[in-house]
Amino acid sequence: MFETLENTSLALWVGESLWAYPGLLSVHIVGLAIVVGLCTIRDLTLLGMFEEIDTKVFRSLNKIAALGFVINAVSGFMLFSSQASIFIQSTPFLIKMSAIVIGMTLACVLHMRLAKEDSKKVTGGTKFIAVFSLLSWLTAIAAGRLIAYL
Amino acid sequence: MLDFLAQAFLGSPLNQWILATYWLWPVMEITHFIGLTLLMGGLLVVDLRMLGMFNFLSISATHKILPVVLFGFALNLATGILFFVGDPMRYSVNEGFQLKMILVLLAGANAFLFHIRDALNPQSTIVLVLNKVDERIVAGLSLSLWTGVLLLGRLIPYVSTG
Repeated sequence: MFETLENTSLALWVGESLWAYPGLLSVHIVGLAIVVGLCTIRDLTLLGMFEEIDTKVFRSLNKIAALGFVINAVSGFMLFSSQASIFIQSTPFLIKMSAIVIGMTLACVLHMRLAKEDSKKVTGGTKFIAVFSLLSWLTAIAAGRLIAYL
Repeated sequence: MLDFLAQAFLGSPLNQWILATYWLWPVMEITHFIGLTLLMGGLLVVDLRMLGMFNFLSISATHKILPVVLFGFALNLATGILFFVGDPMRYSVNEGFQLKMILVLLAGANAFLFHIRDALNPQSTIVLVLNKVDERIVAGLSLSLWTGVLLLGRLIPYVSTG
């Protein structure tokens, strides 16, 4: 199945074009900065680091974060397609994917909680989710970088 | 200037140590990624507010995030210097790196000029000139320049050494 993906015209273009792979990597880091950046600042705000910032701000930023995620889902899939059978056997890659699923699920949970909770009285449960979210994005970044080494 | 720095660092004890410590490079890369996340995440909130999003929050409230932005920058300055010292001949001649550094300086100048308005005498000529610049331009420049920094940084391994 992954060999089939590797032989699609899309995957072959990514692998053979001089600029496709570096270009996609560059786009991928911009998406990373948007998604992980906004999630990190949201989590730090929920944990009380910036008292004057109303956490509703992060509901307004939801569409920007979603845009970053779409950019990275598309660029990430294209990068994956060119070496699918290698990536799918990489432990750091699988850890990265799991961490992203957790981080995005927690982002949805927090998005709903932000609608109900007062910015001045963040519940313990929400703070716990924020810590868990920070750890999952940290794991995603570290594992992503280690794909090239392990 | 980059050539001079590269020659100075090549073979130095720090250069030797970075090259000999096999786990250091990936750890520095991960730290560099965490730094860029803090920098860009914080600036997105600050700059998008200046561009007119979420008006219910004051601009000065978003400025509470700036210490985190500066911390992210400090992490990346420190790890960035270590990358350069660890592999000076690769970075000094790399056009992607050179252009990235120019964009970092421009982004820094943009932020510096915006913030010195508050520190200087409001009647001084420079402040009167700076006040004519719409802050949406400052915010747009900030996000554009840092996006350029990200794109170029990732291209360093792939671009020519001119």
